[in-house]
Amino acid sequence: MDNLKEHIKNSNNDTNDSYKLLATKSDLKKNNNQITKWIDDHDILLYEYEGAIKAISNVCRHFGGPVGYHKCTKGKFVCLWHNWEYSAEDGSCQTHLGLPLRQYDLKIEDENIYINLLG
Amino acid sequence: MSEEPTLLLKCVGEMDCPKEVVMWNYYDHEHLIGTHYKLYKKARILAENGSWALVYRNLRMPLLPFYCSGIAVQLMEGNVMKTFHKDSIGFLLEMEAHFEDLPNEKCRVTVTYRINTHPIFKIFQPLFQMLFKSWFEATWEEDAPMRLRRWKVHKLGFKDFSGIDYINKKLPRPENLTYKNYEFTPPVKSFSSINKNEGVERFYKGGDVVELGYSN
Repeated sequence: MDNLKEHIKNSNNDTNDSYKLLATKSDLKKNNNQITKWIDDHDILLYEYEGAIKAISNVCRHFGGPVGYHKCTKGKFVCLWHNWEYSAEDGSCQTHLGLPLRQYDLKIEDENIYINLLG
Repeated sequence: MSEEPTLLLKCVGEMDCPKEVVMWNYYDHEHLIGTHYKLYKKARILAENGSWALVYRNLRMPLLPFYCSGIAVQLMEGNVMKTFHKDSIGFLLEMEAHFEDLPNEKCRVTVTYRINTHPIFKIFQPLFQMLFKSWFEATWEEDAPMRLRRWKVHKLGFKDFSGIDYINKKLPRPENLTYKNYEFTPPVKSFSSINKNEGVERFYKGGDVVELGYSN
């Protein structure tokens, strides 16, 4: 964990750095356990589901709509634009199998949630 | 009957994206029950061929407390989209949207709403203008972030029914990432039941729905 902390500290301004600070746990709690946020070219959907903090792409694979516009309902996200449905469990697409949302690796250190844009 | 339309309203708006993005948005029948789920309950394409479609819609105008159904023919003619909407009362509403490019990848949309009927109905002009101005504003407000986002993901290389390739493959952003002009050729491709007997209905119906909005 110390290595990770050092790595983030050292490469804070480096655009090639794969880990970025995404949010804090209290941010997540304050926002109904669901946050969407652009970091560089990535629109990220961060949420807590069944006790686990997860992050998937917020870009619907249909036409690019916002998957996390609404709060997750009964374990699924429904894209605002055309109602494509995705599982909160793993981002799999329930409307068209084979078009899952990309999942991101997270590191949680104390209050902070870091995301690996390449992982 | 008078040469001039009995009821008339012209609305103008500008967007920070090319006109083709807005044309895509206007011609996309399926987003009515998604993006505009507070206004539309159901949509169905009864017939479609290239740049025209015959569409059934169940909707509620802002300021009015009830839903009504109607059939509309919608067609694209170059940079103009025409809609002829027959409502359940019997009026024929004609809507014409003109799309024009502005410098710096911006565009202007001019929409005219018109009903030609007996001149006696001219007394309803203030009400007509109030209703359709609020309709234009309500739909514009919901469509604007959709257009801007569509343009943004296009510039990142988004492909329909696929996504952003380098992001999906967990690769770094390609050096010298460039984008092509946005092209729109109707119809909007769909694999949903919008063109089947059942049509499509909105998923969210209000009530305890929690909107978190677009990403910052």
